[in-house]
Amino acid sequence: MEKPKILIVDDDPDLRRALKIRLRANHYDTVQASDGYSAISVAQKEKPNLIILDLGLPAGDGYVVLERLQDSDVLSGIPVIVLTARDPQSNEQKTLQAGAAAFFQKPADNNELLDVIRATLPKAWPGVTLPS
Amino acid sequence: MNNGHTNVLLIEDNPGDADLVRLRLVEGDSAVNISCVNRLADGLASMARETPSVVLLDLNLPDSHGSDTFRKVLEKAPGVPIVILSGQDDEVLAMKAMHQGVQDYLVKGDITSHHLERVMRYAIERQALIRTLEMSRKQQLEFKNQFLSHVSHELRTPLTCIHQFVTILLDGLAGDINPDQRYHLGTVLNSVHQLRAMIRDLLEATRAESGKIRIEPRCITIGDLVQQAISMMAATAKEKQVGLEVGLDSRIPFVYADPDRVLQVLINLIDNAIKFTPPEGSVLVKACIVEADPDMVYLSVSDTGRGIGPEAKTLIFERLYQDPNSIDSSRAGLGLGLFIAKELVELHSGRIWVASEVGNGSTFSFTLPLYSLPKLLFPVITYQGRLREAVVLVKVELTPLPAVSRSTWKEICQQSLETLRRCVYVDKDLVLPVVGNVGVSETFLVAASTDVERAEIMMKRIREQLEAGAGFRAAGLMKVSSHAVPLPSREEGSLEVQVQRTANRITEMAMLTENEKPLPQSANGDESAPTN
Repeated sequence: MEKPKILIVDDDPDLRRALKIRLRANHYDTVQASDGYSAISVAQKEKPNLIILDLGLPAGDGYVVLERLQDSDVLSGIPVIVLTARDPQSNEQKTLQAGAAAFFQKPADNNELLDVIRATLPKAWPGVTLPS
Repeated sequence: MNNGHTNVLLIEDNPGDADLVRLRLVEGDSAVNISCVNRLADGLASMARETPSVVLLDLNLPDSHGSDTFRKVLEKAPGVPIVILSGQDDEVLAMKAMHQGVQDYLVKGDITSHHLERVMRYAIERQALIRTLEMSRKQQLEFKNQFLSHVSHELRTPLTCIHQFVTILLDGLAGDINPDQRYHLGTVLNSVHQLRAMIRDLLEATRAESGKIRIEPRCITIGDLVQQAISMMAATAKEKQVGLEVGLDSRIPFVYADPDRVLQVLINLIDNAIKFTPPEGSVLVKACIVEADPDMVYLSVSDTGRGIGPEAKTLIFERLYQDPNSIDSSRAGLGLGLFIAKELVELHSGRIWVASEVGNGSTFSFTLPLYSLPKLLFPVITYQGRLREAVVLVKVELTPLPAVSRSTWKEICQQSLETLRRCVYVDKDLVLPVVGNVGVSETFLVAASTDVERAEIMMKRIREQLEAGAGFRAAGLMKVSSHAVPLPSREEGSLEVQVQRTANRITEMAMLTENEKPLPQSANGDESAPTN
């Protein structure tokens, strides 16, 4: 059975590794990107079902990535969850406006993050089989 | 100083004295332009037209006397150097003037031209220096705030990593762990939570200092909030073997406050109380109404700790204050908690204070305003001493889609409420305070001074604006409806009584349309609602 695939975009390799362990344990497949530019190319190649996106990134920050995803016919349907150390007061509305489905400030609660991933997936990908 | 000239404004009503000063100024070496007026009002008007380099001020004028004269000038033109030319040698008055910001005080008889020239020059220089200092102080504050906000952001990144890997280990995602290891990792996780709270406080204190904290008052049940705080702190109290008790006055009306912020203050005070109470001691949280102050609720947190000395009592709400005799100085914290608590309480127009005796424990108390619908409604539904023609209750219900995080939904509701406030007329309509904590679905009510037909226009605007609003379309569903409010006859009692009755009607209607979250009865002057 095909598992839902999540693209993790973060410039911190340790955090990418941690998220990978956490998501795989919850029966998701993961792919990774470490900057804004490769986020788009990996998304095009891998067609993930969901993207977890940091805001402070080299080679095009999170806002640039959101904009480029929205502009793309192929990628605009992929839900994006923003996970950032930045201040929600000045970033939460901005990212939602730019097309993100949800916003979390680091460090985020694991359960809430997983719940939102579960709830976000079927809306955009009705065919996806959710992990139990 | 324009064109190298010193522009002197002389405010002096005695023609002889004015001539003498003019003569002294002309005798001097430097280039001066002198304009002379004989009344304070004319002087203030002249300063409003053009800022002089320096003001020479007589205190006893036809339209002002004594210290009032320089106070008014300081008020109108705060940055302008003032030199007082007085007829009398009054040292007390002179000192008072200096303390309030006047640059110099000369006695008319003693003035020589050389002296006057120098006094003016120094006054101008000193004033410029003060201005420079003031600016660099502001820049420093701004720099410090930017620095702190940058630091708190940078600290979050490694903290996130620690948090992630500790929870990975604790959840067994990297293999089984034994009870000892679990206990140690639990300690790490606790420290992560503490560190996270400190980072939050750091940013919060920075915001408080630069006036950037915003509060969103709602209509809340204070008892529920106290219970919530108690259950959140129960584990900490138990660990330290400190009893945690509650004393709630059962008849407290609804309170008008921001629930998140009140919880923050309560948690802070309870946490402190536990920290300073030895094992086997106890902490008591109380909420009550005080007869002498019927518009406020009184909350207090008492402990059986060592108490606070008189000198600490005045300093304890200051930023960065640390109790030098703390029992548990290894985890003293940043010393920002009470400072933030004070800022938050004062943003609600409440007060916070401490009563304590060394050896006899401490009681921290604070007040919050009670909710009063008639008070909020009065300026909106009355006009020129009469009740308005028609009032409509517009209801906006928002329901989130499942894929929305709680914090995102909260932010969207907040944004929608602000949008809603922009959709109404400021002095004819009132967006009623929201009831309770942010729940799954949110209902906003608007009392609008209009009839049902014209309310349609407002509802159309509300729908359009909310739909255009940030992130709403993807996050929730909206329902907007209107209901005419039956008004009491204008002959029925005083205007206050009519407003009170209208408020009761609105309360009933809100209850009928929304059973699980009834709008509260108002806090004061409760009269029984008219029967239907």
